[in-house]
Amino acid sequence: MTVQISRSPGADQASANGVYCYGITWATAAPPRGEGVGGKVVAAVRDGELAALTSPVESTKVRAKRRDLLNHSEVLAAALERGTVLPLRFGVVFENEAALVEGFLRSRQEELAALLRKFEGKVELTVRAQYEENAILAEIVQANPRIAQLREQTRGGQDAATYPLRAELGERVADELQRRTERDRKALLDRLSPLAVDTEVDRERIEHQALRASFLVKRRDVTAFDDVMDELAGTHAGRIRFKYVGPLAPHSFVSVTPLESR
Amino acid sequence: MAIATHGTASNYLQRAPSPSGLADVVDLILDKGLVIDAYVRIAVIGIELITIDARIVIASVDTYLRFAEAVNRLDLTQTEAAGLKELRDGSDGNGGDGKSKGMVEGAKEAFSSDDRKKEDAGRG
Repeated sequence: MTVQISRSPGADQASANGVYCYGITWATAAPPRGEGVGGKVVAAVRDGELAALTSPVESTKVRAKRRDLLNHSEVLAAALERGTVLPLRFGVVFENEAALVEGFLRSRQEELAALLRKFEGKVELTVRAQYEENAILAEIVQANPRIAQLREQTRGGQDAATYPLRAELGERVADELQRRTERDRKALLDRLSPLAVDTEVDRERIEHQALRASFLVKRRDVTAFDDVMDELAGTHAGRIRFKYVGPLAPHSFVSVTPLESR
Repeated sequence: MAIATHGTASNYLQRAPSPSGLADVVDLILDKGLVIDAYVRIAVIGIELITIDARIVIASVDTYLRFAEAVNRLDLTQTEAAGLKELRDGSDGNGGDGKSKGMVEGAKEAFSSDDRKKEDAGRG
């Protein structure tokens, strides 16, 4: 996957007053702190009931470093600890403060305020469930006589004679793995989704990945979600490894109306 | 960032309050979040960010042969013994993601040319 962020005409011109934007909060939220992109201090730019979390950039041609990506994420995490925040995608720079205020905060005031209200008291939790390769393959061999038989017939032989059998074995294993993935994914979602206001499931087929999903959860339900995660890790101990991250700003759930369709 | 594991199946549940690695951060802030219209976003960082994801499953004979090889390598008696030992001891010996790496290493990273050499060398 290649992500190319294109530059609009004029972006090459140096702009000493560039404003990098991380996210939107209520104007009443506690002031931001910490380091942002390029190590610059993060500050709030307020207009009406909204505030944008920003830091200065000297040029609109900024090179993103590893540290910058991590800082973007940390600025949003810190903001979430102090209230509701609408996270922006990495890499948004306004030409100057006036462009941010007039071109975004003010012109989108109602829409942004409605989004902040919508996400009030809710956080994103992400869950990634990855099969333990040896465990899941062993399950598959033990549950399928034909696969076990093919395995016996092809063990120790990587030559041309066993090629058709190896191809059949692999295809059967791949199909079975896909069936188990669908079954496990459904079982996991059946337990987790009822605790969430909204669920976003990544449908991309990643090897050995049983589930990758984001859940929008009320803050007061996070503990219950934790408990279900513990239960699921127990149920699947030895065969599925879970990575559970949050609470996060609602990255997977925010969107604004595209300008063209307004 | 502190990573806490808890509960009875702590070996298999890694809990973190925020993304702990660059790959997770990239997933979150490059692919997701509010996007502002091109007309309003008057200037965007002049970089090409490339994410490599080697783990996407493609149905092909090559994939099948790789699966066949993995199944053939499997020592079924050992797998069962190891699984039981882990449950009993409550430790898998590495306490991390190491075991979840499969036939294809989970290599997902983001870089912007010179940044990569410089910083990856320092962090491993």
